[in-house]
Amino acid sequence: MRNRLFTAARDPLWSAVAAVLAALLVSFVAIALSGRDPLAGFGNLASGALAGPGPLGETAIKSAVLILTGLSVAVAFTVGLFNIGAEGQLIWGGLAAAVVGRFDNPLALPLSLAAAAIAGGAWGFIPGALKVRRGVHEVISTILLNWVAIHLVHGWLVAGPLSAATGSASISVAGTEPIAHAAWLPRLIPGSRLDLGFPLALAIAAAVWFLLTRTRRGFEWRAVGAGAEAAHASGIPSGRRVCEAMALSGALAGLAGAFLILGTEHKYPGVFRTGYGFDGIAVALVGGGTAAGTAIAGLFFGAVRAGATRLQLSGIHPSFAELIQGIAVLLVAAPRIFLPLWKRLRRSAAEPAAAAPPIPTVQP
Amino acid sequence: MNEILDFAPPLVLAALGGVLSERAGVVNIGLEGMMRFGAFAAAAGAIYSGSAWFGLLCGALAGAASAAVHALLSLRFRADQVVSGVALNLVALGLVTYLLQSVFGSAGVSPPSPSLPRDRFGHTAMAYAALIVPLIFYFWLSRTAAGLRVRAVGEHPRAAATLGVRVLPLRAWCVLGSGVLAGLGGATLSVGILGQFDSRMPAGQGFMALAAVVFGKWTPLGAAGAAFFFAAADALQRQLSFSLHAADLRLEGVFLALPYVLTLLVLALGIGRTRAPAADGVPYEPEGR
Repeated sequence: MRNRLFTAARDPLWSAVAAVLAALLVSFVAIALSGRDPLAGFGNLASGALAGPGPLGETAIKSAVLILTGLSVAVAFTVGLFNIGAEGQLIWGGLAAAVVGRFDNPLALPLSLAAAAIAGGAWGFIPGALKVRRGVHEVISTILLNWVAIHLVHGWLVAGPLSAATGSASISVAGTEPIAHAAWLPRLIPGSRLDLGFPLALAIAAAVWFLLTRTRRGFEWRAVGAGAEAAHASGIPSGRRVCEAMALSGALAGLAGAFLILGTEHKYPGVFRTGYGFDGIAVALVGGGTAAGTAIAGLFFGAVRAGATRLQLSGIHPSFAELIQGIAVLLVAAPRIFLPLWKRLRRSAAEPAAAAPPIPTVQP
Repeated sequence: MNEILDFAPPLVLAALGGVLSERAGVVNIGLEGMMRFGAFAAAAGAIYSGSAWFGLLCGALAGAASAAVHALLSLRFRADQVVSGVALNLVALGLVTYLLQSVFGSAGVSPPSPSLPRDRFGHTAMAYAALIVPLIFYFWLSRTAAGLRVRAVGEHPRAAATLGVRVLPLRAWCVLGSGVLAGLGGATLSVGILGQFDSRMPAGQGFMALAAVVFGKWTPLGAAGAAFFFAAADALQRQLSFSLHAADLRLEGVFLALPYVLTLLVLALGIGRTRAPAADGVPYEPEGR
């Protein structure tokens, strides 16, 4: 059972690998064209991602968030829905974590995480219900809901009622009150910002893998994704399954928001344009829509993102990471681009075997 | 009123671009990215040539070029149209910031560019374009043979093909046209309104244009009307936020969210039969290949 999004790829794994390699190649050429040293640039990229506990910690915290938003998109894929709304779900999750995390108590951390999952889940449930009940296409509704969340939270709640600043008009960047120390995601290694979020994200990825591939519910979700009507005819309540999956999808994105707030920001900042929700789409697509693939893609793009901060040493803006990511998605989106390449590879692999037998017969 | 005529054109043009592409059966999530390319290319073109008009042309071409990528991926290589549009937005985000920094040495804003001239009412030509182009587009789509063909490939491409319409090339032209309109919309933001490129452009206007397409029920006049309405809501919000600031309510966000909430409500409640073109987003495989 594979989704419409991945039917075009005869071999999703190799298409993804080829796309990522091609994206790196394109960005290598782009750096060279702009008159900078691409080898030094990639060296800085690698050292910013991997050299020592500090960079590895950065890679880990960015990967954790990308894995969660990627899983969010991937879970929605399984029921055949395209969740472009991870960004909005992440925002509500982050806000819920920031609000609940302000109450100092021994359970502040789990309570904040739960609040984030519920808030994100509720925001994800809306497009699911709209799709099932009113036939509203989820791509449109999630895009709209993203902007509703962005404006309501950033333009009103965090700037007004929940703002730490009082009075003066210029403090709209202040954000909310800081959260209690008990709600922080604990740091694991000295000299690195690696926190509990990373192992949690990996555990969640494993749980999602188990849910999707080893449980009845996961099977039913995949059946709905493969064909809602056929699933419905065989007794699966497809509408309810779609809503459940969208709620889980939103909850995962909400947790990603909580990781950002509880792990690094420690309050809901006045300016919080992460883009991680949109990156989740890239991670899930490159990961082939599976839990394991998404985790691997999340690790990779997390490393690229962490490394990109050191690209500045080569005079390259960190947004270069987004370029690599975007090109990889463009190429993954159209696996047929690689068809000629596959054909040639297959032919050259088959040739020795095919060519060998005739040779003896040529001898007179 | 003046403010509406100033801020509506980018939204109107991009929304018309969305209508053109979607009526031909190609979903265009990439409007945001196309506007971004258009805004940057227009500023760059205007700065290097010294002419805002040349900048406008560059913006249209950049929009078309990015639309060509969307057309190539989704039509030639049968990529999912939504994925291809999303990818285009991601690329636009990274690539334009990269170009901005490589060309102008700043990741924030470009240097000031020449601006489009304003008439004695304070409007640029784009304000008038935003009023006239929707009408022309409406007549073209509903009253001409070419417009009929576009609607046919969006509703029932197979039937159109049996009548001799070449579906994929026509769809490709519509996507390119969509890119031209979105690119012009983006160009209006930089060389029309602000007089420079800002790295945050178009700040969600492409998505708002998408909402206008849906709110306007995939018709040129409806989408343009919705775009004007959204721009009016935005202008109202700007005016009100001054007086509301005093009360420290900070309700800007509520007003900014309003167009999206309204569009959602229209969709959810099905006010006045909202229906996308039948073959919107459905890839077309020609027979006999």
